[in-house]
Amino acid sequence: MSDVKTYIQKLIEARNLSKGSSVSNLLEEFCSDPYIIESVHLILNTQKMLTNKWQIKSRIEEIIHRSIVIPNGTVGKMYEAKLDFVQLAMNDLVYTEFEGLSEYGLFYDNESETIKGIPEKAGDSKIILKFRVEGEAESSVLNEKKIALVINPDPKSLWKNIDSDPQDPFWKKDNTAEFATIGNGKHIVVASKRGRSHANVGSFRDDDFAFKFLESTGWSVVVISDGAGSAKFSRKGAQVVCSAIVTYFEELFTAADNEAFNALIFHYLLETGEDTVRKLNHWVYHHLSKAALYAHNQLVALTKELNCDLKDLHATLSFTLFKKIEEKFVLLSFGVGDCPMAVLSSDLNKVTLLNWLDVGEFGGGTRFITMPEIFSSEKFHSRFSFKMMEDFSYLMLFTDGIYDPKFMVEANLEKIEMWQNFVQDLQGANQDNCAVNLSPNNADIAPQLSKWMDFWSIGNHDDRTLAIVF
Amino acid sequence: MRRLPVYFLLDTSGSMHGEPIQALNNALSGMINTLRADAQALDSLWISILTFDREVKELMPLTELVHFQLPEIICPQSGPTHTGKCLEALHEKIKVEIRRGNETQKGDWKPLVFLFTDGKPSDIQLYRDMVPKIKSLDLGALVGCAAGHLADDTLLKELTDTVVHLDSCDSTTLKTFFKWVSDTIEQGNKSQGTGERVALPDPPSEVIVVI
Repeated sequence: MSDVKTYIQKLIEARNLSKGSSVSNLLEEFCSDPYIIESVHLILNTQKMLTNKWQIKSRIEEIIHRSIVIPNGTVGKMYEAKLDFVQLAMNDLVYTEFEGLSEYGLFYDNESETIKGIPEKAGDSKIILKFRVEGEAESSVLNEKKIALVINPDPKSLWKNIDSDPQDPFWKKDNTAEFATIGNGKHIVVASKRGRSHANVGSFRDDDFAFKFLESTGWSVVVISDGAGSAKFSRKGAQVVCSAIVTYFEELFTAADNEAFNALIFHYLLETGEDTVRKLNHWVYHHLSKAALYAHNQLVALTKELNCDLKDLHATLSFTLFKKIEEKFVLLSFGVGDCPMAVLSSDLNKVTLLNWLDVGEFGGGTRFITMPEIFSSEKFHSRFSFKMMEDFSYLMLFTDGIYDPKFMVEANLEKIEMWQNFVQDLQGANQDNCAVNLSPNNADIAPQLSKWMDFWSIGNHDDRTLAIVF
Repeated sequence: MRRLPVYFLLDTSGSMHGEPIQALNNALSGMINTLRADAQALDSLWISILTFDREVKELMPLTELVHFQLPEIICPQSGPTHTGKCLEALHEKIKVEIRRGNETQKGDWKPLVFLFTDGKPSDIQLYRDMVPKIKSLDLGALVGCAAGHLADDTLLKELTDTVVHLDSCDSTTLKTFFKWVSDTIEQGNKSQGTGERVALPDPPSEVIVVI
């Protein structure tokens, strides 16, 4: 009764009809008429119904326009996106289903409110959340909200393997692997492989290597070089510097030079005085820098032949000479660029780094043997090293295609456990159980190393070259 | 893993309202899809989008392409072009966000920056103050893109040697341009000498390079 009276009172007030002294008595009588009561109730119920409908409609609009972001998926990789409706302040959804998921191989699990599955195809589309909110009739048409769904392709499926052009004047094999004896009682296995980033566009392997046992002087030499990805003839540059180093020690390094070294070493074995060390270092500096300069000059000569700039031939250079003298191994090395050279002790408990790396603040920023300033830099002398040891298990030289995925940063090169892991990795402790049996009696050693180098590492798709002396 | 960070600075001032901003949205979306299908990009690319009108907004913080979702770019009906303020924001972000290599951290590839504008800076003083600061950042590439006849090539040239001029902001032109952008991005992760710049591919004939 009172709600009827309140309604009528407000109505007549709103219409400005409530003047006069008898309003109060009249209102009492008016509102007790059953017809009036029924009419007012009808109006109030209708109003309530309209308000409800309005609320529901505006709530639906709100939900449709509220942003829901679900994470991107990747083909072949388990996908799970939890839709936390409480968190989204949407716990008034009484019914939900999704459209457009099955074509990606996904489904919606109502129980856990999760989109799940292993995406089967890539795409950038909108899936539709069909829903009903509290208060809507069971029979009502479902509302629709679009949500962006991005499925990335499986990165592995995107890499193409396009052969490089064998007609190119500087063509070289995309993949190569060799095994040989290298003198001084040691063997070498080396593999060089075109990176996926090159295979993807049909470009060439820029890495190169060379090795040789120099019978006349007894030295063994191993060289690797990484041609710059941004330089157009770097693959040729890398090849030329590798063979230049071998040529230098084979042809230009004289018996007299060698004798001078032998004399110094014998002296050094007797006494390691400051003066002897200085003379030794000087010898190493003198001859290895001549070799490096010889390699540089070969490139200078090549620019004239090819009518190109030195920077078109940008290539790093790392090489090590070793020889057994008086039951000890002597190792001499030089490095410019970012290819590490290291020796592991016989018991695998110690690593000796033979060079430091030219790595810039930014990715790919390194130095090359093509850069004349290398030779005049005050750091030039630090690019050489002289080491002597009883024996070693492995001498390794590799390009950044191996260094980046396996060692990541320079600090790791100093950690023996990283090297121990690396050796175990070579022996098969990896995702693919791919092993290299590092034994001179293994007839398959070269193809095994080549296969091992196919390992997958996100973001690391450069050429890979790894030389192991053992 | 090395990241290749790419920053887009997009003009959303009043003059972009309507069809141009639609075309820009479409072209960007096409570019993202192209990049998503590129093996190398999918592995290493990180993208950030800054927009500038009266306000500078970080529409998308630096995000790995794998997780990237392109937001819709909207612009007010009118208002100034605060390019200088946007460069200021970029300078700050690059200083904070770019990882430099050291003994224990892998350095990023040099960042690439694409500045897209259809007008000229309203905050010319700040713009000119920022030019030397941006130049000192050692970017892999900074491409200035002037779209339409009202865009000022000369001012962009003060900022970078690589200025591309587009005759209009229509859908076809922008698509072609952003295809070239994705080609350029694909060049961004190759080894180069210390201090050297990223070599840019030749732009398509539809767009005119000023320098």
